[in-house]
This record gives sequence, C-alpha cells and structure tokens, in this order.
Amino acid sequence: MKASRREFLKATGASSLSLMLGGTYSLRVLAQSQDAMVQHEYSGWENFHRNQWSWDKKTRGAHLINCTGACPHNVYTKDGVVLREEASKDIAPMPGLPEYNPRGCNKGVCGVDYQYGPHRIKYPLIRVGERGEGKWRRASWDEALEMIADKIVDTIKNEAPDCISVFSPVPAVAPVSFAAGHRFAHYIGAHTHTFFDWYGDHPTGQTQTCGVQGDSCETADWFNAKFIILWGANPSITRIPDAHYLSEASLNGTKIVSISPDYNASSIKADQWLHLKPGTDGALGMAMAYVIIKEKLFDVHGVKEQTDLPYLVRKDNQRFLRESDVVANGSTGKFYAWDAKTGKAVIMKGCWGDEPAQKGPPVAFMGRNTNTFPKGYIDLGDLDPALEGTYKIQLKDGSSVEVQPVFDILKTRIMKQNTPEAAAAVTGIPAKVIVQLAKDYATAKPAMIISGGGTNHWYYSDVLLRVFHLLSALTASEGKNGGGLQHYIGQWKPTFLPGLAALAWPETPAKQRFCQTTIWTYVHAEVNDEMLNSNIDTNKYLRKSIATKQMPLLPANGRDPKVFIVYRGNYLNQAKGQKYVLRNLWPKLELIVDINIRMDSTALYSDIVLPSAHWYEKTDLNVTMEHTSINMTEPAIKPMWESRTDWQIFQALAKKVEESARRKKFERYNDEQFKWVRDLTNLWNQMTMDGKLADDEAACQFILDTAPQTKGITMAMLRDKPQRFKGNWTSPMQEGVPYTPFKNYVVDKKPWPTLTGRQQFYFDHDTFFDMGLELPVYKGPINADKFPLRFNTPHSRYAIHSTFKDNVQMLRLQRGGPSVEMAPADAKARGINDNDWVEVWNDHGKVICRVKVRKGEQSGRVSMWHTPELYMDLIEGSSQSVCPVRISPTHLVGNYGHLVFRPNYYGPGGTQRDSRVEVKRYIGATPMPL
Amino acid sequence: MTQRQLAMVIDLNKCIGCQTCTLACKSQWTDRGGREFMYWNHVETRPGKGYPRDWQQAGGGWEGDKLKPGRLPRLAEDYGIPADFSFDATLFKEGEQPLRPTEPMQWGPNWDEDQGAGEFPNGYFFYLPRLCNHCTKPACLAACPRQAISKREEDGIVLIDQERCRGYRYCVAACPYKKIYFNPLAGRSEKCIFCYPRVEQGIPQACAYQCVGRARHVAYLDDREGAVHRLVNEWKVALPLHPEHGTQPNVYYVPPLSPATFDANGKPTGQPRIPDDYLVELFGPAVKQALAVLQREIARKEKGEASALMDMLIAYKHGDMFRLGRPPEQRS
Ligand code: SF4
Ligand code: SF4
Ligand code: SF4
Repeated sequence: MKASRREFLKATGASSLSLMLGGTYSLRVLAQSQDAMVQHEYSGWENFHRNQWSWDKKTRGAHLINCTGACPHNVYTKDGVVLREEASKDIAPMPGLPEYNPRGCNKGVCGVDYQYGPHRIKYPLIRVGERGEGKWRRASWDEALEMIADKIVDTIKNEAPDCISVFSPVPAVAPVSFAAGHRFAHYIGAHTHTFFDWYGDHPTGQTQTCGVQGDSCETADWFNAKFIILWGANPSITRIPDAHYLSEASLNGTKIVSISPDYNASSIKADQWLHLKPGTDGALGMAMAYVIIKEKLFDVHGVKEQTDLPYLVRKDNQRFLRESDVVANGSTGKFYAWDAKTGKAVIMKGCWGDEPAQKGPPVAFMGRNTNTFPKGYIDLGDLDPALEGTYKIQLKDGSSVEVQPVFDILKTRIMKQNTPEAAAAVTGIPAKVIVQLAKDYATAKPAMIISGGGTNHWYYSDVLLRVFHLLSALTASEGKNGGGLQHYIGQWKPTFLPGLAALAWPETPAKQRFCQTTIWTYVHAEVNDEMLNSNIDTNKYLRKSIATKQMPLLPANGRDPKVFIVYRGNYLNQAKGQKYVLRNLWPKLELIVDINIRMDSTALYSDIVLPSAHWYEKTDLNVTMEHTSINMTEPAIKPMWESRTDWQIFQALAKKVEESARRKKFERYNDEQFKWVRDLTNLWNQMTMDGKLADDEAACQFILDTAPQTKGITMAMLRDKPQRFKGNWTSPMQEGVPYTPFKNYVVDKKPWPTLTGRQQFYFDHDTFFDMGLELPVYKGPINADKFPLRFNTPHSRYAIHSTFKDNVQMLRLQRGGPSVEMAPADAKARGINDNDWVEVWNDHGKVICRVKVRKGEQSGRVSMWHTPELYMDLIEGSSQSVCPVRISPTHLVGNYGHLVFRPNYYGPGGTQRDSRVEVKRYIGATPMPL
Repeated sequence: MTQRQLAMVIDLNKCIGCQTCTLACKSQWTDRGGREFMYWNHVETRPGKGYPRDWQQAGGGWEGDKLKPGRLPRLAEDYGIPADFSFDATLFKEGEQPLRPTEPMQWGPNWDEDQGAGEFPNGYFFYLPRLCNHCTKPACLAACPRQAISKREEDGIVLIDQERCRGYRYCVAACPYKKIYFNPLAGRSEKCIFCYPRVEQGIPQACAYQCVGRARHVAYLDDREGAVHRLVNEWKVALPLHPEHGTQPNVYYVPPLSPATFDANGKPTGQPRIPDDYLVELFGPAVKQALAVLQREIARKEKGEASALMDMLIAYKHGDMFRLGRPPEQRS
C-alpha cells in the first residue's frame, strides 16, 4: 500500500505536479469521428476488467452500525478475500408503492474497508502508554481475559457488583452481539446502560403523549402522504436509503415543505422551504394550531375520542377531576368528560384505573398493556364530550368545584399567545405564510410530519414533539397510512423485543440492573451544565428524582464506577460533556475494556482492547424501523487475525471469571437486591443455556423463535431472502400495506397506553407545572451559554455517528478531515475564509478544526457534522467538547402513570442543540503530519 | 454510427447527492493502482467549480468538424491528490498524532459540496452526477493519434485499448467533460468503461444499479420500450449536458425543479430558485420545455390524474428502470 503510494506520488510529481502537457495545444483533427472506429478484438486487456468482476462466493451481509438502514447486501469473495458488497435488492415489493430496492448507501459500498483497513484491531492489546496515546503491547487472549476477569471478581468482592458497568447500544443491530455483554452482566450482577435516551434520540414527547417508547411508520408509507412537512429532518443526508420516497412522492403530486434553518440537501427537493430561526419550531407549530382551531379545521370527533382534550380539569387546583375526588373509594386513575347530551360528567373508558377483564402481561415498550381490551372499547358511542365550557361538579365531601375541559384551557391560551403574528416575530416566517401552511396541512388528507434530530435534540424537545402531536391529533392523522407524526433518529427499534430480552436478560429484565446513562454521565463526570444561568436548578430535580427512586443512579450508595466494558458503541467519542467525562469520569474508572473491530476513540482511551469479528465474519440479525424486513449477516470468511465474535468473547470471559472466582475463593455471592445467590462458577452454562446457545446462529434462531413478531422465521429463510415481520408493536402487520403505528388505538379503538387512555396533552404533575409544561406550549431554546452563535451538530452523509468518519474514501469526498460550516456573513465578520482553521469555544470546551463557508447556512449559527473521532484532523477537542449534558426536569419524572423509568422507554436525553459558541480564526501552529 | 447505443438517463430530481454511485464505481474499478484520484463516476454540486476544478473552462469538444483545443487538468490543483493517512502512527504508536492527510488537500472530487450560488435565503444548488457520456461523436476518440480509443459496435461503449494507449493524453484534453484520466503509474489513460463486463451479462452498471436515489435508467436508445427512448425522444424531458460541445452524449439528465424564492417580505414568489438561464447554460435551450412538461405532469398527479411520465420517473419496480436485453431476475 505504502510503496505504491510513493510510486504514485513520484510518478505524478506529488503536489507540485502539473501534468507535463499542461496548457492548450492543438489536436489532430478528424473530419468524421466514425473514421477512427477501428474494430477491436476483445480478447486481450478487456479480460482484466472481466476478471475484476468475478467472484467464487456470495454470502449475506449487513452493516451493523446503527445507521437505521438495515439494508440487505450480498458480499462477494474471491480466493478467500472479500472483494466488495452490493445491495441484494430482494426486499419484497408492495403493490402500488415504489419498492425498497436497492437499499444501500455510500458507506455501505465501503463496508469491506473496515475489514482490511488500517483501523482494524488484530490482537488483544494492553495499554502501556497513557490513555489515548496509542502505545500498546500485544497480549494473548488468555492474558487479557484473565486480567479482566480478576478485576471483575475483585470489584464484586471488595466493592459492589454495580461498580461494574457494561455499555453496548442498539439491539436492533446485531442483537446477538448486543445480548452477549448484557447476558454476561446479567449473570454477574453488573449494570448495563441505556442508550436511546442518552443519545437524545428517544422521542420523549411521544412517550408522554402516546405512552409508548416510540413508534413510526416504515418509510414506504411516506409515498402515501399527500402533504409532508420535513420538520428538522434531512433524509437526503441522514436517511439515504429512504430518501427516494420523498422525491417519488413529490413526482406523485405530494406537496413537500421543508422546515429547517439552513437550505440543505432535502430542502432542495421540497416545494417550499421555510427557514425559521433555530429552535423556534414550537412557536411555528403552536401558531399552526391557532389557525387550525380558529378556522375550525380540526377533526372534532377525532379530538373527542382519541385525545384527553375533553377531559375535565378542576379550576381550583388545575388537577384532572378524578373519580377519587367525587366518589368515596374512587380511583385516582379514572377521569371525566362532560357529556353534552346528558349534561353529566361521565368517566371516560380505558383510563389507567380501568382494567381489562383479562389483564395482559407488562410490555416493555408500552406504558401499560392495553392489548387485551376489546376492540371498540374507547368508541364514543352515544357520548358527546364537550370541548368547551365551565361546569360545576359536586365533590365527595359535598363541596363543589368548577371544571373545564383541557381543550378549553388550551384554546384560551393559544388564542392569547400564539397568533401567527406573534409567531412571525419569533420565527422570522411571515404570518401569512404560517396561515397558509396550517391550512394546507390541515386540509390535505393524509398529511404527515417527518421529524428528526433537528428538532429532537433540544432542551425542550419533549414539548416540541407534543406540539407536533397536537397538530397530528387535531387533524386526526395518527393511525392512518400516509399520516401522523413520524420521527426518525437511531436504529432503535428491536421489533422482536421479547426474543431479544429473553436472550439478553434471561431471568427477566426485572432482575437486571440498568443505569440511566445520561444521569450516570452527568453525576460521575461532574458536569457543570450552567443551567443556573437560565434559572433552572437541575440538581434540585435530579436529587429528588433519584432519592424517590423515580430514576436510578448507579453504583448505589455514592460509590464511584470502577470497571467499564464498552463494545459496539463509542461511548467516549459520542459523550456530551466530553471534557468533563475525560477530566472527571475517566480517572474514576480503574479498568476500561473496549471490544471492537477498529481502534475508535473509546478504544484508544481504554486499558485493554479486544479484537472483534467484522460484520462479514459473523452471523447476526439486523432490523430497523425504516422498513419491516428482517435480514441477516453471515461469515464470508472466518474472523480475521485473532478476532472473535462478541458472542464468543463473552463466553470466553465467562469461563475466565469462573476460573478467577475459584482461584480467589469467591465462588458465590448473595445479591441482596434481587435475593439472588449468584454462582460465579457456572457462568458459561448460564451464558449458553447449557451449551444450547453456544453457537452464534443458535442464538439468532432463539431470538426469532422467542419473539411473536418473528416466530416461524428461520435462519434458512433469511439466507434465502429478507422476511417481513409477522407482528409489530402498535399496529398489525398487513399484507401489502406499509406499517404505520397506532392503528390498535385509532382503528381498533383500544385505549392508548397512557394515564388517560388517550393521546395525552395535559400533565397535572408538579414538575410539569413548575416548568410551565402542563400543556403544549412554545419554549424557546436555552441561552445558558453566553456566546453569540448557536452550535448545531447534524449527522453527516459520510458517517454514521463516528463510524466511517475515518474511512479514507469518505474523507476524500470531503476535505480530508472535520470542519465546521458557517454562513458567509458570519465568516466575513470574523475575517475567516473558506478552509481556514478556526477555534470554536464556550465555557465547556473548545474545538479547533477547519471551516467551510456555506451559503445555505443561516447566519447566527454554525454547524459541525457530529462526533468526528478524537484522533482526527482536529487541533483540539471535537464536536462534543462544547456541548455539556443538560437534563430536562420533565424527563426525570418517574411517578406519573405511564411516565416511569424503564431502560430506553423513558429517561433524560441530555440535549445537544442549545449550546452556544464563539468562533475565531486560529492563528496557532498547525502540527505537521508524519 | 454504431449498431446500437446503450444510454443512461439520470433524473436530477431524484438524485440526492449521496455518492453511492461514486463509491460503487470506485470499489468496483478504481480503488488502486494509480487510479485513486480518478472518479469515473462522481457527483458534483452545481453551480460550482466541479471536478476536475473548472472543467467547464478546460476546452475540448467539437467546433463543427474540428476538434477544439483543450487543457489538461493538474493533479494537485484540479483533481486533488487523494488524501492518505498514517493510521498506524495515530492509533497504534506512542505519541498523539492526529489523523491528517499526509499531503494537504487543495481540491478534491467534491470540494465545493453543497456550497452552490446565490444569496441566503434565495441561494440554490443541486447535484450533478457525471460519468463518461459514451458519446456518439467522441472527441476523445478522434483526438487519439494511436487510434487506441474505440466505440463498440454492439453497444456504443467507448473504450481505451490499454495495450495501444501510450499515455499521450490528447484524449484527456479533447474530452469536454474531462472524463478521461491519466494513470501515472500505468502510464496510460483510463476512463469509465460503462461496466461492460456487467453489461455483457445483462447487469446494469454499478453506478446505476446501486443508485439508491433510484434516479438512473439504462436502456438502448433505440429500444422503444425502454425508459431512455421514451424520456429522451418521446417526452423530451431528458437532455444531454453541454450539447454545444458536439460530442452527442449518451448520458441524459432530467433537469431539476426547485423550491420557490422569497420576495423582500419573506413571501414565496412561486418562481423556482434555480435560474432558467443557468439550466440553459448546462442543458441547452430545450431545458425550458422539459421543465414545463415536468411541471404539467406533476400537476396532473396532484389532481389525481394519471401520468405515464411520472409513473416512469417514480419507477415503482426497480427492474423497470433497466432494459439491457437480459431477464431482469438475473441479478448479481
Ligand atoms: S464523455 Fe469524453 S471521454 Fe466519454 S466518450 Fe465523450 S468525449 Fe469521450
Ligand atoms: S458505468 Fe461502471 S465504470 Fe462507468 S461510472 Fe458507472 S460504475 Fe463506474
Ligand atoms: S447514487 Fe444515485 S442518488 Fe446517489 S448520488 Fe448517485 S445518482 Fe445521485
């Protein structure tokens, strides 16, 4: 590789070269090009290319990287060398819709690069230099695993099992790999981590409104929409395999509006682009609600049946009117509406306190299991709940209170606060344009809002999502193909959750320690979020939430974390508050283990690094929310060098812990919390179900067999072609119809899994009142950093988070390294030119990188493609250096009906978008490369 | 004229600039051996200087029956030296050494990505994928004193005979699209081969078959059933790039529509933001009619009426985008 490069540069005269024939010169002129058409024999050099396009083995391949694509590929191998991959193009089409094929992207066609590339970890490595320096010594598997096992046993013995933590995200991608470390943690008593919330991808506002972890339609359903608002979503860059549905919908007559501060790769495809000021989306949304309500464009029946907007609220204390207020021994989980027909308050069916005859088992992704209610349960029938008015109710103590429907309160507020004129002043979008947008949205059927990281990473993203939900509830577009609020961030949805959970936490998740990663990081990294500048005392809410066990903090009893095992995730590189993490959290960790195919930033800053098999060297599954076909990967070749699959690595570690426990005479311990006497000498049997799951493929099949969503699908079938799920989360799977969520509630009319049994917009909870968030409302961005420019970190088309950031082909299609993008006016004001080095800083940290001046960027904001690896061409820091961890108090609520902590179901995200920075030209030295 | 001409249509309204085509081609054909800097297929942001830098000002093509002079692009300044890195020093050796290109990048295949033209909020840009046009009247072919370039009878693919080529680079200068590259290691010129080994097996070109925007149609120009003939000759919505160079390209483009500009009060004007003049500059005067047809047919769809043109561009079935004379189920 190196030699040929030197040759190449020599032959071309390197950078100083101009091809010798540079300049204009005359050519031999031919009167007719045809004259030159000599017939050639195609037997000589042409065969070179024919040979290039040949192979002797074709296998299934997938890219196991949280890209959300889950694109089935074929991998081509010749003479034992993997050559390349190509989209397999065999997802079954659906009638009347453009097909999913070909599914892939620019990174996917370079998947093989990580197999043979210079980033590959070949052997177990033990750090001999400083953390982050890159000085290693090669170790044997035995030595490395023994060191880890000994430390684990010592830590359990001398400290506590919850001082050991295992981080591995995104089970939809390679669930067997995911389960490996989680199952190991499960049996030794260590804690694992949440990730969906920590990454800021969890649609907290949707959990609040709908009582589900999250759910969205598969992207083929975009084609069914008549009107699409891209709201903080840039699919041309972040959903490359799916973006075609937008242009195809557009060619099919669908109107597309892109709402985004900058003119981006998706705005260019829209009929209209609206460039609001960053973070003012909520003002726009509320003004749309104003128009829809004022012009009576809302679906009255839908609002009465599917939302809590008719529910009665007491005027004296702003709480819902509950049955317990009215009747002795009444339920606190039953709520009323005012029936206009009978002139009486009636209890609405399907509330929290209303249980089905046959109670279903808890479902991890639902606030409560409402599946066993009969169909049609929340149908209004003869009921006509009032949306407006004030009524008198007699309470059980004989006194009476005035009550008012939620809708009435909301409407009054909106009419006062959210006029299009007021929104125009905030957003920069003219009032007339807002009015038109609202009318177009409300009258097109079906209309869809597609949102993404642009709107979900704000401090107040939960209420913003509630505003979007309000729009989709007012227009009754949920639960309908082509409609609804659809959010896409992260490949977070393991549709086969029951199968996955059985593999990862075999004694049930109830017997697993889960920490909430945002809180874990915030506390142990001692983050200063500077939220006091915005008059919000995070610690007040956090302390209370932890003390009352609404949210967990591990290790318990004020201990520090000691052992950190990270794999399939780049915790350090992605960490918000990165400076705090490196300065305060990292020194607390006595052993950091990273298991990886490549030397990423977390690996580089670890103590022991173990080589993991590449995606084309192991068997595993891959699913996504973007489509409903499950696909797989399998070994094209054996794991290279000394690498092993994650499933095998944790089995080997289990054996080493057994040995160490015997050696250290610490074979058993009593885990008080779970009343579980753990046997550390039987781990391998537990890991493998007495050997039955020892093989990776057997573990895959176990997931498929155990989940109702995939039962009946075999690995042999997946080898043949991708297979569609047999069941799903909140809607049935229908032949030939794209999946869209919430049909169980909208079509089948079972109660929504929320406290109120409806899409819930009113939260009579102290924290919500305290924060002024009891109803959908516009909350501006946080300005706690006293710096002039908003700092934006969108996803790049050349990377999936940090993966592929260091891919040579991707870097050549950029400018060789990370950069921050800036509007021409902002650059000019600072004397900055395109491709200069710049310093970007605030009180949390600094990043020094190159700048790209981009006309489509809005003045007042800079954007940096999020999370380049720390070792990339940065003079200092990285994109996360200037972003602290900021916890929204409402995310800490865990004692309110469907708002409870469950891993990745509900918990704080940490936010990313509200950071502010200043930028100046960097005039220091730029170190020379080697 | 060759007997048949294989041709490609790229729908710029569907191209999302993802570069999947670029890398599908690269990993298939040009990732080693002195080809690292060459992109037989690349996607550039328009307006922009493109790749190689300022190729539109580099001459070449025909003036009537005469070849126009052309300029050779320079490696570092116009193509850009392909960045390389010392991973080993950064990741596996002591000392903190950032991953920095060993030669600083001055330009690259996508240097001015997304930069475009115009002033906020009325700026504009779009993506233009470019590959050899396998021209009917190839200037490259005419310029080669060794007669090393030929056009295949059976499909019109233009190839450089690697045994005859002596690396004189007249072809590089003559091609007005600058789609021939000199391989300094091999000492020969190289270019897109229209994936003939695949085409011979009835499999579409890597760039087209992998295009996840589903933007590319491939068929023989004379195949009346094929999308290419229908889009180019019947609907006349697909146009060659810079037809004025006279090479008669066989890669055609459906021109891009764009969101409306804003007036001084921030209200949408209803006028597309990509100026017609700019598109005329690229695709010739026929572009106006093509845009009008596209708008008319989209309006039909909006009203719920049928449009055979839109259905063809939507391309419900991926297989329908390609007609190479082999059964569509025969796939790689
Ligand atoms: S595009 Fe250039 S290289 Fe290709 S055939 Fe035409 S003139 Fe020759
Ligand atoms: S046709 Fe083949 S060789 Fe030509 S650009 Fe496309 S992928 Fe590359
Ligand atoms: S793969 Fe298709 S959509 Fe992507 S850049 Fe290439 S032509 Fe455009």
